[in-house]
Amino acid sequence: MRCSQIRKMISPYVDDDLTPDELNVFTSHVHECQACKEELEETQTVHRLFASAVGFEAPPGFATRVMAHLERTEETGLSRLRCLFTGRPFFLRTAEIAFALVIVLIGMISGNLLVADRTSVRQPTVQTSFSLDLFQATPTDSVAGIYMRLAENGGEE
Amino acid sequence: MKLPDDTDLVTRFKDGDLSAFEQVVLKYQDRIYTLCRYMLYNAEDAPDAAQDVFLKAYGGLKAYRPDASLYTWLYRITVNTCLDYGKKSRPEHCADTSAFDNLASSQPSPERLYQSKETGRLIEGCLRKLPGKLRAAIVLKEIEGLSYEEIAHALGTSVGTVKSRISRAREEMRRRLQKDA
Repeated sequence: MRCSQIRKMISPYVDDDLTPDELNVFTSHVHECQACKEELEETQTVHRLFASAVGFEAPPGFATRVMAHLERTEETGLSRLRCLFTGRPFFLRTAEIAFALVIVLIGMISGNLLVADRTSVRQPTVQTSFSLDLFQATPTDSVAGIYMRLAENGGEE
Repeated sequence: MKLPDDTDLVTRFKDGDLSAFEQVVLKYQDRIYTLCRYMLYNAEDAPDAAQDVFLKAYGGLKAYRPDASLYTWLYRITVNTCLDYGKKSRPEHCADTSAFDNLASSQPSPERLYQSKETGRLIEGCLRKLPGKLRAAIVLKEIEGLSYEEIAHALGTSVGTVKSRISRAREEMRRRLQKDA
């Protein structure tokens, strides 16, 4: 096997990732080839360098800072929500509420009309809907009623 | 003291227990911070980057599904966050090169460099000169000790690509150490 192919096997060799067959080919080549052997030793040195590398500790109070940041962020989110209702001028909020009420009212009226259209079997006449059958042009106790009675009886009362 | 189980922590968090998330931070803060230190060009960005990682994790943890381990998921966020930081800043050339030069004059061979107290700085210096994706692969393998499969999951790529990147990263570092020594 050529050196270029063997050198591609150096990293898997360091990680114990060669198959038994590959391992045989690799070790026998490295045993005979000085250049490949040196490259292997240098790669192993890099590997050992990493093994002796230090791990770092997070700065003191790191977790506390992260949690405080999160709480601030959550609080900011809630404040923004509150601002939607409280952070604008009075006239604007009043106008918004009035507009919302008008929309609700229109919805209720149109809803009632639609329901009435669908549910009523008999369409009420204009007279019954406004109780015109009870309407009296001159009620008995009114001035006009008394006048009308006097006129009919020829002024006897 | 026994560390709390990840599955329990995630379940508690999803049920609205904020203290469970604090325990996640306490459990993984050192590993995430270490990864940030080795991934970033500027070491002073590491605390902010690590904090960003946990803020992103907080936002995404409700949707997290345990098809991979929690730390692999956190590593994925960390790598992406650090790569984003890398786009904002350029590699340093001076600070760690001086450490290289001092070591090179007194300890000529890589074998002896390995024994030096400056190993950590040396590795940081070398890593910062690697492209981000190679750096992520080699750090997860060599420093965090992840398997190829875990690295593939953390980087969102295939195992074959991971092996290739690790091999290239080692080759690059070997050349740099040889050159500087």
